[in-house]
Amino acid sequence: MKRRIVAGLLAALMVTGLMAGCGNGASDAGSAADAGTQADAGTQADAGTQTEAPAEKEEAPAPEAGTETADASAAGDFTGADPQLEKHIKILTIWAEDNDNGILLNKMCEMYQAEVNPNFTWEYEMVAADNLQQKIATLAASNDLPDMFAYEAGTPLMTLVEADKIVNLSQELEKIDAMKYLNEGAVNLMKGLAGTSDLYDLPLGLNAEGFWYNKALFEQAGCEVPKTWDDFEAVLEKLDAAGIQPLSTGGADKWLATRLINAYAVRTCGNDIMTKAANGEVPYTDAGLVAAADKLQEWSQKGYFGEGVTTVDANTAGSMLMSGKAAIFYNGSWFTQNLADESQNPAGKDGIGFFNIPVADESVSSATSYSMNCGNILALDKGKYDDGTAWFLKYFCENMGDLAMNELSSVKGYTYSVQAEDMDPYTLMVLDAINESTEGFGWWEAKMSSEVSKTAQENVQPLLNGDMTGQEYMQSIQDVFDNQ
Amino acid sequence: MNKVLSNKKAIALFVGPAFILYTVLVMVPVLWSLYYSLYSGSPGLKWEFAGLKNYLNLFTDKNFLKALGVNFKYISVVVVGQVGFGLLMALMFKFWLRRCKTVVRTLVFFPVVLPTVAVGQLFAKIYEIQPNYGLLNSFLSKIGLQNLVQPWLGQEKTALWALCIMDIWVAMGFYSVIFYGALLDIPDDVLEAARVDGASGFQLFRRILLPLLWPMVITSTVFSFSGTVKMFESALALTKGGPGAATKSLSMYMYDNAFTYYKVGYASVIAIVIFLICVVGSAVINRFDVKDY
Repeated sequence: MKRRIVAGLLAALMVTGLMAGCGNGASDAGSAADAGTQADAGTQADAGTQTEAPAEKEEAPAPEAGTETADASAAGDFTGADPQLEKHIKILTIWAEDNDNGILLNKMCEMYQAEVNPNFTWEYEMVAADNLQQKIATLAASNDLPDMFAYEAGTPLMTLVEADKIVNLSQELEKIDAMKYLNEGAVNLMKGLAGTSDLYDLPLGLNAEGFWYNKALFEQAGCEVPKTWDDFEAVLEKLDAAGIQPLSTGGADKWLATRLINAYAVRTCGNDIMTKAANGEVPYTDAGLVAAADKLQEWSQKGYFGEGVTTVDANTAGSMLMSGKAAIFYNGSWFTQNLADESQNPAGKDGIGFFNIPVADESVSSATSYSMNCGNILALDKGKYDDGTAWFLKYFCENMGDLAMNELSSVKGYTYSVQAEDMDPYTLMVLDAINESTEGFGWWEAKMSSEVSKTAQENVQPLLNGDMTGQEYMQSIQDVFDNQ
Repeated sequence: MNKVLSNKKAIALFVGPAFILYTVLVMVPVLWSLYYSLYSGSPGLKWEFAGLKNYLNLFTDKNFLKALGVNFKYISVVVVGQVGFGLLMALMFKFWLRRCKTVVRTLVFFPVVLPTVAVGQLFAKIYEIQPNYGLLNSFLSKIGLQNLVQPWLGQEKTALWALCIMDIWVAMGFYSVIFYGALLDIPDDVLEAARVDGASGFQLFRRILLPLLWPMVITSTVFSFSGTVKMFESALALTKGGPGAATKSLSMYMYDNAFTYYKVGYASVIAIVIFLICVVGSAVINRFDVKDY
């Protein structure tokens, strides 16, 4: 009996240890396991930032003599000069301080502190992209969300909206007269993703997705950039016949593979097919969607992705394109960061080209409609939002467009007045695509709840391996959808 | 000493602080989980009383049943592998290795101190197939077994076993050291006497060594069992639970529910199942701890 009690207590200790250790274990393991990979679906735009960093606190300079503070902050009036309110904000993101949006956010805070409000301080914390949702869920549950945090647009954000945790930015940006600094296309895209008439998030990117191709390999196989889906299939066959691996995709990261299903589904069923499926108007087992899943499997079985596609991560797939081991790679415009880096891109400044998802039927989905996304977004905690945050927010919206152009030569969804000098050809290529776009559509998981999205991503691997048919894949998504 | 230990106040004084600490740190969270398991959603986000609904959902949840299957397969292979190979290694140190014993022992123990993530990365490279063949596929290709070259981590039929091999490799050194310590405690004259009586190598192991090592076998099995029930970080580091859900354990599924699907209540039910597996498993293993082997 005594032995049983001891065994029971030991077991209890183990389980509790397990539960307590889960968070850390996951973040450590996850961050390192994913090191160098892109972030999760829909959030990958701003990846390359996977290890956790300790919080860092920026100390403000001592308040200057004669600093005007509280009395200048007449509540609700944001038209005059910044009243230099004392404010400390916490920012939680998935980017390291020296990477992508991390650079911009920190630079923005530095500029605001130096140029406008010396009483402003900030604390910058980073989590692995894979752990962002978990971290935010935990902080939301304990009413301890940071003032400003990166999150995923669309359905994940809606959970926080419904729980009344985040600021309604449509109202607040109108109040501080900063809505004019946001790119209209980005605003519409984000409202569309969330399915709300109001805006609840700030954009941190405006990206077009499509196929990147290796020009040398195309030339070697005698291929031309395809305009229609039939041309595209012919190109794949031609490349394969020439002994060139036609496609590479990040099957290990999963979201890149689901993007290919999305590409075919949208071009054959219409730009709004995923919205309809998410609203229950069309089942996920619709013949068009099943055909899209079958298409991915067909490519896999033909060997277009090479061996072991489910073990290839996004970074490897990208470098296979750049190093000439694969001819075509689907990804978003954030991929220009890798392309512009000479150490990563042996193909050079003109070695890689970009084309939009080829059209199957122009009347169903037009050639100028692009898969667009705004990358990870920023949301603001409702509980901590005050006049101090509002003044910073105003400065942020006003200056983000120019800062992003100057620092990273990239479009972030804000108006900008400068053209970056020496913009690399890849960024120009992307800007052309964005400017050409007349309509945007979301990605595969954008409208799905986290559980449906996880199922869609997890099961894409058995689909690629042939362990699941297109019908079974779609049924598995429908089952989870029905059980919600 | 006997006088002190028969004094109940003294016992209370010795046990009390640890017991209180244990209750606060261990028992309270367990009871808390029980309470959470009666709710749906996540605290602060759609947190509603659900009664026993979460428990009933378990029986129809295919993902849960699949994760349970993965756990059982993993536990049965890894426990046997870790303890079995640990024992074999220890016997090798004691009876076979004459030279370089310390070096080999250190090498075998070395993986124990490596971070799981590093081991995961190492094995991911060993099993790699794209963009280049890893160690295993290169070897198979070199010796003319091209037909065996495959994506070890990328297909359901091999991923779990590839993971098991990694976890056996990592921990067998730990058990080998435990068994080696126990072997050193067995007096040489006992072995000598058995040999004089004409015991063969296997008989020596079966009739002399195994009975003497049995308590250590039980202890090691409990250690290994408790380590494998929580299967989490190694699977996350090597396969992220994939392909599909082929290597997704109960702990990983619990984690998904709690932190990705915002279903803390349901995740608590899964935690309780893990707890029960621990209790029942440990009890079963201890049943084999017979005094008169």
